[in-house]
Amino acid sequence: MENGLENGFIILFGLTMLYLASTSRIISHIRVLITQGILLFLICLFGHSDTPLLNMAFLTVETIIVKSVIIPLFLYKIIKKTHANRDDEANIPHFYCLVISSIILLAGFLAPNYMAQFKTLSPIYFGVAISTIIISLWLITIKHKIVSNVIEFIAMENGIFLLSLSVAKEMPILVSLGVLLDVFIAVYILGLFVKEINKEFKDLEVSHLSELKDCSEND
Amino acid sequence: MTDIILSVLLIFPIISGLIMFLIQKKTFNNIFLNIYALIHFICTLLLVFDKDIQNKGHYFAVDDTNKIFLLILSFIFLMVTIYNNGYQKHFKYKEKKTCHYLIMITAFVWAMTGAILATDLGIAWVLVEATTLSSAYLIYFNKTKNSIEAAWKYVFMCSIGIALAFIGIIFLNISSGNINTLNYAELANNAKLFNPFWLKLSFVFILFGFGTKMGLAPVHFWLPDAHSESPSPISALLSATLLNSAYLVILRVFKILEIANSSIEARIMLAVIGFLSLFITAVFVYHIKNYKRMLAYSSIENMGILAIGTSLGGAAYFAVILHLIGHSLAKASFFLSSGNILELYETKNIKSSSGILSANKVTGWLWIVSFLAICAFPTSVLFISEFIIIKTMILKEYYGLCALFAILLTFVIYGIGKAVIKMAYGKLNEEKTQIVNENKSKITVSMYIPQVIMLTMVFILGIYIPDFLNDIIQAALKGF
Repeated sequence: MENGLENGFIILFGLTMLYLASTSRIISHIRVLITQGILLFLICLFGHSDTPLLNMAFLTVETIIVKSVIIPLFLYKIIKKTHANRDDEANIPHFYCLVISSIILLAGFLAPNYMAQFKTLSPIYFGVAISTIIISLWLITIKHKIVSNVIEFIAMENGIFLLSLSVAKEMPILVSLGVLLDVFIAVYILGLFVKEINKEFKDLEVSHLSELKDCSEND
Repeated sequence: MTDIILSVLLIFPIISGLIMFLIQKKTFNNIFLNIYALIHFICTLLLVFDKDIQNKGHYFAVDDTNKIFLLILSFIFLMVTIYNNGYQKHFKYKEKKTCHYLIMITAFVWAMTGAILATDLGIAWVLVEATTLSSAYLIYFNKTKNSIEAAWKYVFMCSIGIALAFIGIIFLNISSGNINTLNYAELANNAKLFNPFWLKLSFVFILFGFGTKMGLAPVHFWLPDAHSESPSPISALLSATLLNSAYLVILRVFKILEIANSSIEARIMLAVIGFLSLFITAVFVYHIKNYKRMLAYSSIENMGILAIGTSLGGAAYFAVILHLIGHSLAKASFFLSSGNILELYETKNIKSSSGILSANKVTGWLWIVSFLAICAFPTSVLFISEFIIIKTMILKEYYGLCALFAILLTFVIYGIGKAVIKMAYGKLNEEKTQIVNENKSKITVSMYIPQVIMLTMVFILGIYIPDFLNDIIQAALKGF
């Protein structure tokens, strides 16, 4: 690994996940997403400076414009409208969240160095990306607010983006564009649903969404 | 010529969707949807019967494997559109909302067509995700608390699933070494050079990712909710066509593994997931009080059978294709008939919708015959497919699995049969009689015809497969 600056940004990216795991204010979660977007942009800038102009332009648009401006702005509007400020009642206290996420991240740092199969990839990219994805998936299962679930979904998408950067080869540009578009629309639709759920159920607890059961008599 | 037809198939819906969006008149939009269904069917027939197809399409093309999938999609879409003509007449919603409904159906079918025709794994991924997004509106169409819950679960679970599938695609890209492509044909050509570790790992993610969309257990949880809460024509489309298009992607990647000689683990995974789907259906189907949920569980079961058939290989591939055709036709007609029942009784509860035969004879018989078709009663084509799967298991000396397969299927058939017979032959209670009489006029002829056509086909295909269909199936077998 010749590029120290790039590695530094990747490690910072990993650390943002710890912050995401340990806070309950949703506005801070959105700030984490903005930070992640900017870090991803810096990683692209320092690690992939030799990429063709078209790809570079696309990466800039994706990381700066979509990931750190449009999506956070959209989420910010949603929490303002729905008055969802905190996600207090996670199943697991924040301290333990922090501990568990740290362990996952540490494992992500260490594991790739010891496995022969991962030698072909840069271990730090791969480890941080995979641990980001695992931490996000795990946080989705323990958080109670629907908005937090959307935020963790985006964090997971960021992890996947980092993973795709770790592959030395580029995805065809059309595919990347399609992926970007889909993620963007998915977030938009999820956001619309958050609003609808808020209107219908008066607040944004996941526990409201458990009416549909096999044995219930609903119509 | 092929290119022109392909472009019509993919560009016409975009233009017609735009026109529908601009005009927003219920009748006009419905006519446009009918035209689209017809054009889709004609284009598909032209593509399917074109023996010497010149495939130059870079991103979209017809090949041996996707021909049969395209034919199923097109035919079911045509049938559902015919049904929908009667169904949407009685919407109590504003004109604008009905228009949006029709536009979203166009978008949904367009995305599925694209996903089936895609020659590139990346494009297929994008379009499968597009199917999620376009059908979310359709599931949420009734705007009740339950439908919002179903739609939320659907979008969220499928988005996560499809994100996992993307990890699989990245791993596939790692395994392919210096070959930088996601084109199925090129991947298959170079499959022998791939790194087996990453290839196998990528299949795990792709199976679970697209398996979420296909409705395989244990990632099936969105399916019963979404199928039961969406309007019945949409349930039919979801079950009979959407699940197939996700299956096609899994199949294509599975083929790459097979060429690379690393399919043993993949086969085991498919078999485990298939049996798990059967098991979950067998367990849950008993306690269900909602008949549309029951049909949704039956879809999970049938997807499980497809997975098991794929894992067996050999003669079972033939069975898989037959099962695909049979399940799509039978399940679409089952869901459409359930739509008639819902219109008549205004409830999805099994207990309160008894006595269908005395309420509406045709719907009652369609309900029973659809059940016979789906439970593989001879001469249903599903009988042949399940028989071949069992035969393959015996020939390969998997006696235990064969017994398990038969027992689980029996459980499922008993569970569904009990509810179907109770509903068909039970006594129509008095408070429902009034509601049913009020609603009888809602069921028009166009809400019977599609089911009759599809069920006739299911039972005829069990004894006689026409030559042209046989050619398509044989061609598809080469692609397996």
